[in-house]
Amino acid sequence: MMKSLRQDWLSNVRNDLLAGIVVALALIPEAIAFSIIAGVDPKVGLYASFCISAVIAFTGGRPGMVSAATGAMALLMVTLVKDHGLQYLLAATILTGVLQILAGWLKLGALMRFVSRSVITGFVNALAILIFLAQLPELTNVSWHVYAMTAAGLGIIYLFPYITKAVPSPLVTIVVLTAVAIFLGLDIRTVGDMGKLPDSLPIFLLPDVPLSLETLKIIFPVSATLAVVGLLESMMTASIVDDLTDTNSNKNRECVGQGIANITSGFLGGMAGCAMIGQSVINVKSGGRGRLSTLAAGVFLLLMVVFIGDWVARIPMAALVAVMIMVSIGTFNWASIRNLREHPKSSSVVMIATVVVVVATHDLAKGVLVGVLLSGFFFAHKVGQILRIKSMTADEGRVRIYTITGQVFFASAERFINAFDYKEVIEKVRIDVSRAHFWDITAVSALDKVVIKFRREATEVEVIGLNEASSTMVDKFAVHDKDGAEDMLMGH
Amino acid sequence: MKNENKVLACVDQSHFADHVADYAAWAARRMDAPLEFLHVIDRHPELGSGEDHSGAIGIDAQENLLTKLSADDEARTKNAREQGRIFLNRLRERAFASGAALVDVRQRHGELEETLAEQAEGVRLLVLGRRGEAAETTQRDLGRNVEHVVRAVHKPILTVTAGFKEPQRVMIAFDGGNVTRRGVEMVAGSPLFRGLPIYLLMSGKESQDAHRQLDWAKTTLETAGFEVTALLTPGDAESTIAKTVKEQSIDMLIMGAFGHSRLRSLLFGSKTADLLRSSTIPTLLLR
Repeated sequence: MMKSLRQDWLSNVRNDLLAGIVVALALIPEAIAFSIIAGVDPKVGLYASFCISAVIAFTGGRPGMVSAATGAMALLMVTLVKDHGLQYLLAATILTGVLQILAGWLKLGALMRFVSRSVITGFVNALAILIFLAQLPELTNVSWHVYAMTAAGLGIIYLFPYITKAVPSPLVTIVVLTAVAIFLGLDIRTVGDMGKLPDSLPIFLLPDVPLSLETLKIIFPVSATLAVVGLLESMMTASIVDDLTDTNSNKNRECVGQGIANITSGFLGGMAGCAMIGQSVINVKSGGRGRLSTLAAGVFLLLMVVFIGDWVARIPMAALVAVMIMVSIGTFNWASIRNLREHPKSSSVVMIATVVVVVATHDLAKGVLVGVLLSGFFFAHKVGQILRIKSMTADEGRVRIYTITGQVFFASAERFINAFDYKEVIEKVRIDVSRAHFWDITAVSALDKVVIKFRREATEVEVIGLNEASSTMVDKFAVHDKDGAEDMLMGH
Repeated sequence: MKNENKVLACVDQSHFADHVADYAAWAARRMDAPLEFLHVIDRHPELGSGEDHSGAIGIDAQENLLTKLSADDEARTKNAREQGRIFLNRLRERAFASGAALVDVRQRHGELEETLAEQAEGVRLLVLGRRGEAAETTQRDLGRNVEHVVRAVHKPILTVTAGFKEPQRVMIAFDGGNVTRRGVEMVAGSPLFRGLPIYLLMSGKESQDAHRQLDWAKTTLETAGFEVTALLTPGDAESTIAKTVKEQSIDMLIMGAFGHSRLRSLLFGSKTADLLRSSTIPTLLLR
């Protein structure tokens, strides 16, 4: 245990600290931008980003993964904040944490295996689009100065690394654009115009809400969605970091860790957050691997904001917009567009449906639900195709033998029933299902239906070879071998 | 090739590897056991390569990063594998030359401690340098890995220092505890030290119980045909052992190892680690 503690914290100190600074610089614009989305003061997002990234450093299950206030979560809070105010948001944040801890204890992380690759790609793309869309209010109905500043910012971000990679280019962008704005005295929006910045270290506060069932009714639906979206994004990000670093993570510990981080954030006046894909990629790219990197990111963020807050307030929003557009570009899975034509249509449909639903509803949970359901549909449809029925006569034309191979369940039951020739005049039918699988009640009642249809034509039916799995299903649910079966099923 | 009951020599590319190879070959020859050289390649996934602090992510950032990181790993591993193969082959030749009959080599990815715990099955004796590549440039007397390995692997472990000298005079540091009692039985039953004079040292106060224990050990060894000198010396273990080693020109020490929990040794220090640090001769640790 001592060894893994040392390995998680102290094996990569220099790189972790440097990466922490780089990440903190990218976290500040995001925290401010997402506070604005949620409709709260920037300090709520900044406190949240500090608390979550610092706490998750200790409690998380994926060292090196960056968690903070995120757009996915902020979008889910908009209505709650508008209707009930900040205090309810803090209460909802705490409840979100409690739900996430429960999910961790119940080991719900394992459910991620039902979320297919296409859904994950759709989720990531939708996220990138949402981050981009969130910047549009800053880019509409503004003077040309803002466009010029944003374009210059993007130029610096992507071109400066060709000069040197030792200094974070987002930092250069922010510094240069702030200096230009102040020097030219441009009348454009700055961070200070967006609301209060933190003026002190966060303090412990109980949310000022009545402890009643009424409150629970208001916050529970929001918290439940927040918990689901937060865990989904965190699990996806964790597996991305797993791949990048070729190491394993503890998914259930991460669930609990996210919960503890959100509870802390709620009590210290921050909003709910989760893992961030873009920032985690930046962290790994900058050499961050250990827990120290995320702790450093949180601490640097707070120090910068609290002690040079006056300067932070003068940063033009255009600089932050440029950084956020970078995050959006870096998060989007561009390969998925190139792959649209090569990948199977069904998987492309799942991906696009996920994106469309998320962008339309601003709710990543709904998008993932639609994606998972669609993948389920397509899978059932595909597996339903695996059903072959062959027939031949035997015993000099007195008997016809049907041989069934494949999967019989709700999606293929119809095809199963229609595969038999009921009009054939024959003494006996033998249905050989020894190489078929009966999966559900639909399959069993389909077999019943077939048997009864033949009986009505006075054809004797023999079902042979119900294998172990199928026969337990048939024994439990079938009626055809009981008296009065025809009446029960056909109900005339 | 029979892989059971092998001598496993754990080597890295430090100059200790030659001496590890010599002792391992000696042990394999005496026990008539197959010898295997194991080189563990640790890619250190916990270390980041922090050259790029630009913090800018563009199109396909994630894919590009994954491609770059895996290409780096691939290049490093390929290099380590090739180097490892060459030096393992050299060690194999060395072991053949010093009389080992069956010698095999193996390279594994992973962490030293975990890999050894996995490989411990079927190992009769593990041979390990007391310091290695990582400790070569530092002044530490005891490589950091040694204690981890000794705790993780429940097999007899021969830890060797620089230089090889065929053992002529063996000493057992006997404390009457379970581990060393089993050790005495093991030595009595093993061909490893057959024919060598054994010096049986017990440090501590005179007591009837101590004498009885010592007599038991002496008899056990003598029954097995060893020539035994038993001695009960007052004083603390570390200094008496060091003194006797010098006076009797002992060239191999046998003792029990890490009888206490990791927490206790963290707080009070570990007797085993102290002894290993102060002793300059190869030491066989019994678990």
